[in-house]
Amino acid sequence: MEHPAFEEVSFHHHTDDAEFKRRVKKTTILLSVITIIELAIGLFIYTLHKSDVNRDFLILGFKGLVCILTLAKAYYIVSVFMHLGDEIRNMIMTIVVPLMLFIWFIFAFIYEGNSYKNLRNTYDLHFKETTMPKKHGNAETHEVKPAEKSGKE
Amino acid sequence: MSTQATTVHQTKWWSGGKSPFNMEYGKLMMWYFLMSDAFTFGAFLISYGSIRFSQNFWPDPNVVFNAFPGAGHANLPLAFVSVMTFILIISSVTMVLAVHAGHKGDKQGVIKWMIWTIIGGLAFLGCQAWEWHHLITGEHAVLVDGKIEMIGQNMRGNPWGAVVNGPEVTAALTNTSHETLMSLMHSANASVSHEKIAAMSDAELRAALSTAELHVREKGPVAFGGYFYGITGFHGFHVFSGVIINIVMLIMTQKNVFQNKGHYLMIEKAGLYWHFVDLVWVFVFLCFYLI
Amino acid sequence: MDLWIVSMALFVVSSLLGGLNYISTILNLRTKGMSMTRLPLTIWAMFFTAVLGVLSFPVLLSGLILLLFDRNLGTSFYLSDIVVNGEILPNEGGSAILFQHLFWFLGHPEVYIILLPAMGMVSEILSVNSRKPIFGYMAMLGSLFAITILAFLVWAHHMFVTGLNPFLGSIFVLLTLLIAVPSAIKVFNWLTTLWRGNIRFTPATLFAIGFVSLFISGGLTGIFLGNSTIDIHLHDTMFVVAHFHIVMGVASFFGMFAGVYHWFPKMFGRYLNSTLGYIHFWVTMIGSYLIFWPMHYQGLAGIPRRYLDKRGWVSFNDFPELDKMITIVSIIVFAMQLMFVFNFIYSIFKGRKVTSTNPWGANTLEWTTPIRPGHGNWPGEIPEVHRWPYDYSKDGREFIPQTEPIGENESKH
Repeated sequence: MEHPAFEEVSFHHHTDDAEFKRRVKKTTILLSVITIIELAIGLFIYTLHKSDVNRDFLILGFKGLVCILTLAKAYYIVSVFMHLGDEIRNMIMTIVVPLMLFIWFIFAFIYEGNSYKNLRNTYDLHFKETTMPKKHGNAETHEVKPAEKSGKE
Repeated sequence: MSTQATTVHQTKWWSGGKSPFNMEYGKLMMWYFLMSDAFTFGAFLISYGSIRFSQNFWPDPNVVFNAFPGAGHANLPLAFVSVMTFILIISSVTMVLAVHAGHKGDKQGVIKWMIWTIIGGLAFLGCQAWEWHHLITGEHAVLVDGKIEMIGQNMRGNPWGAVVNGPEVTAALTNTSHETLMSLMHSANASVSHEKIAAMSDAELRAALSTAELHVREKGPVAFGGYFYGITGFHGFHVFSGVIINIVMLIMTQKNVFQNKGHYLMIEKAGLYWHFVDLVWVFVFLCFYLI
Repeated sequence: MDLWIVSMALFVVSSLLGGLNYISTILNLRTKGMSMTRLPLTIWAMFFTAVLGVLSFPVLLSGLILLLFDRNLGTSFYLSDIVVNGEILPNEGGSAILFQHLFWFLGHPEVYIILLPAMGMVSEILSVNSRKPIFGYMAMLGSLFAITILAFLVWAHHMFVTGLNPFLGSIFVLLTLLIAVPSAIKVFNWLTTLWRGNIRFTPATLFAIGFVSLFISGGLTGIFLGNSTIDIHLHDTMFVVAHFHIVMGVASFFGMFAGVYHWFPKMFGRYLNSTLGYIHFWVTMIGSYLIFWPMHYQGLAGIPRRYLDKRGWVSFNDFPELDKMITIVSIIVFAMQLMFVFNFIYSIFKGRKVTSTNPWGANTLEWTTPIRPGHGNWPGEIPEVHRWPYDYSKDGREFIPQTEPIGENESKH
């Protein structure tokens, strides 16, 4: 396609075939590696849960790490597979800037959920007794504890 | 690339008469549609987060998702979902290749890669169907009102509460019905045959069970099932519509619609949608299976 | 109720498609020379409205889908510890506040979806009819943008008394009060546009000025309600009714009326009847204040909203005569709207005919099309734009259309 198919488009991207294939291959490998790391962390969290020692803080750290790795994956999918990285800067901005709204959106909702739990634990004893995990010595019971926050969902 | 760079510098992008993003109208609309859809999924996942934070207990995904087709009762946490994730990533790659073939005007290439993408999508849907089926029908021992019951993961019940052990289980066994005892025996000790279990009395069953390792749990948060089925279902619906779109694109390619038009931009738009579905799965995977 | 949810879902889809169309048209398909800073403010307002719709409606859609599941599939997203007719529902673990969050995440931007187009049209009409350039074009854009961003950040100020976390509430108070800044900028710009202008008091101008008046009086009470402490007293009283009806209901209707009176000649090639227009304006304007102003007093006195009959409560029955007066005035004002509908339909067929393509002497492109435009609006080439749309009373000329190239000795605006 030499001439632009639509008059509002000024020029077309010309990508080198071999260069393109190399990039796609690289990204695919990268995504796979990140996914495997994520799975490894997931399994590691599983073993941490099983052990008797209370390692909530470590688990929290690993969950945060998984979140960051996921964001990296999302970046590669959007930037390479969806070719957003090849578009001009203004286009990238119109996509990225509205996504910033999610920061406050996530923070407010999570904070609110946490506060709702504290309210109910304070004023609704039935809720507290029926849902609070009892300490049995088996450490698999401590899952999400009241004060725990794992960053973004 | 150098000619491109100079064009970028010389063009007054915003002066009107052309696209400020050097992007065709329909593709721009597709981008903003996906943006809007991202907010739909975002709202789902954020609601899920909000509810999760309002609970004192949340099940460990490694415990919930530990089955694999054909592997029976083996404990394989995250194995199946990683297969699903890879299927989706690979189908995304084939879609990239289809779009690239479209750029070159290579009809046969487009057809080949589109078919692979569609197969990937269908495979993913099949995996999801199996997983749902397994979760809904797979029953687990749960301590309810002082007795043990077998319940599956559905909208109203969640069998993945905190583990109950020791004396509480023994006490609960005395109140448990015959049918439940039988299925408990079956799941705890697969080597014993059906006939043998059927022949055992309640007292014998209880004696055998109290020595066996029983995985009895309390009831977990009900919202888990609702959100899991709701969000993966909504995502599955997107995959399904993506497959339909891809099939339509495939037929249109075969009928030379795009060749006659002179461009394969429709493939590009379908590709954007398909990658978005992959992108959403990355986040669903994070929220439900990893953390 | 399920049907209502489904119909809302359809509405979300349609507004989404409409919004996408607006956004990509405005960004991608401007004519030659029409840079973003040469767009009329009406178009800018429509653009931000579309952005608000595209980003906030999907959240409502999610909330509604969860609601549909709760109602029909037995899930517990919003329900917990609910007793109906003495029977405890099996649902547990949900949070009713979650629905309010999801709803108001749309609900607040929705207010601006209603109001922003009115703001845009009013800016345009005030500039055209006071024969002066709009004051602070860039400030207008900036405030539109700021309102759009803030609209997404303040949703929970509708929920101060739901049991919202007080710390979160205090952040929402801060963000809410920030909206006063861009709103005030817009009001000052409208007033300074009118200031020392050569104002033509057409019905459209009157409605636009009425909009500014209503926006001020409705906006000020918004500052009261935006403070969580005062809101505890005023929440769910007639004060709230008065506030949002003035600022969002009547004001945006005024913007709409202004737009209809202004662009009617473009739409049908005939004018609306001005005499009926003046009557329509004055009765509606005075009537709206007579209806909603007393409600502020009622609300401060603690009278709750949504009561059909207050006679059973001694404390709510302090102002029966006021209620009567409000009822009578609202009937009159409603009758006036019927007269407007009559004027509208009558003028389509029998109104005074438009004789020139540009009856208001406006600069924008729509007035360069023929009186009865055909397909594609312009016969032949699409016009090219050379200047911003607000060159009024410049270099001794009353107005200079956007299509006119910049002269050699022309002063800057």
